[in-house]
Amino acid sequence: MTQTLENITAERLKIYKTSPELYEAMMVLSNAAAKDIDPELGELIKIRASQINHCAFCLDMHTRDARTHGVSEQKLDVLSAWEEAGRLFTERERAALALTEAITELGDGHVSDDVYARAAAVFTERELGQVIAMAVTINAWNRINVTIRLEPAHR
Amino acid sequence: MTTTAEKTRRINMTQVSPEVYKAVIALSEAAAKDIDPDLAELIKIRASQMNHCAFCIDMHTADARKRGIDEQKLALLPAWEETEGIFTEQEQAALALTEEMTDLTRRHVSDEVYERAAEAFTERELGQVIAMALTINAWNRIGVTTRLPLPKR
Repeated sequence: MTQTLENITAERLKIYKTSPELYEAMMVLSNAAAKDIDPELGELIKIRASQINHCAFCLDMHTRDARTHGVSEQKLDVLSAWEEAGRLFTERERAALALTEAITELGDGHVSDDVYARAAAVFTERELGQVIAMAVTINAWNRINVTIRLEPAHR
Repeated sequence: MTTTAEKTRRINMTQVSPEVYKAVIALSEAAAKDIDPDLAELIKIRASQMNHCAFCIDMHTADARKRGIDEQKLALLPAWEETEGIFTEQEQAALALTEEMTDLTRRHVSDEVYERAAEAFTERELGQVIAMALTINAWNRIGVTTRLPLPKR
């Protein structure tokens, strides 16, 4: 399920060797972000952010993890157009995806009150904090893996 | 027009997700090793400008001034590519890399920008520049999403 990042080919820098403290800190952050969040929802957040940030390694890893968690093929197929997919996604999933997109696209705008309030209406404060944490954390992994050009394993 | 006071109140991550908050602080400490502190401030300010994090821009411009970074450098930072003789080659290489890493939605991290940074820094330094850029990106996302209140100074 989880790949050992040290064993995977990075075309550019072996950052997990040159900056081992970074890797350790990222693992601690990932574990902290994974608490009190539904794992299926966590995977949808991670895949959607990785789509927007074009992280091939992350997409490969999390679509596979999502299948392991039993996320349906249809949801995975339609994820990049979730807003057009009616009730295929639950309101909690839609609220989390809208928030993830806003958090990921900061260059184009803010996190609007509408998007924030939609999420605040369906999650407890703790859950909302963890949804935000998950979106922040996958954004950080996306930046590492795109920058060092980590290759997805061929399977 | 909405005033700041009328905007929706948002959650406090230190209260609702304390483990995450602590983990991001630990990440910051890891990223701050073996990097020139002046260079780190420039990376942090430039990413925060692109991500529109008011709290982060405010904090790091104040920190940069305390460190004695030139007013002119701070003023010209969003247009660093148009300047000559203001930013060092290391600063320019790090800023170009920071910009591409921050802008992932529009483009990749190009070979040209990556190689410019790889020439200007050792592998260890480059790893830490990358770490700094992604760490401030994480703080920016927390700051903007939770709308961290700006202290008046």
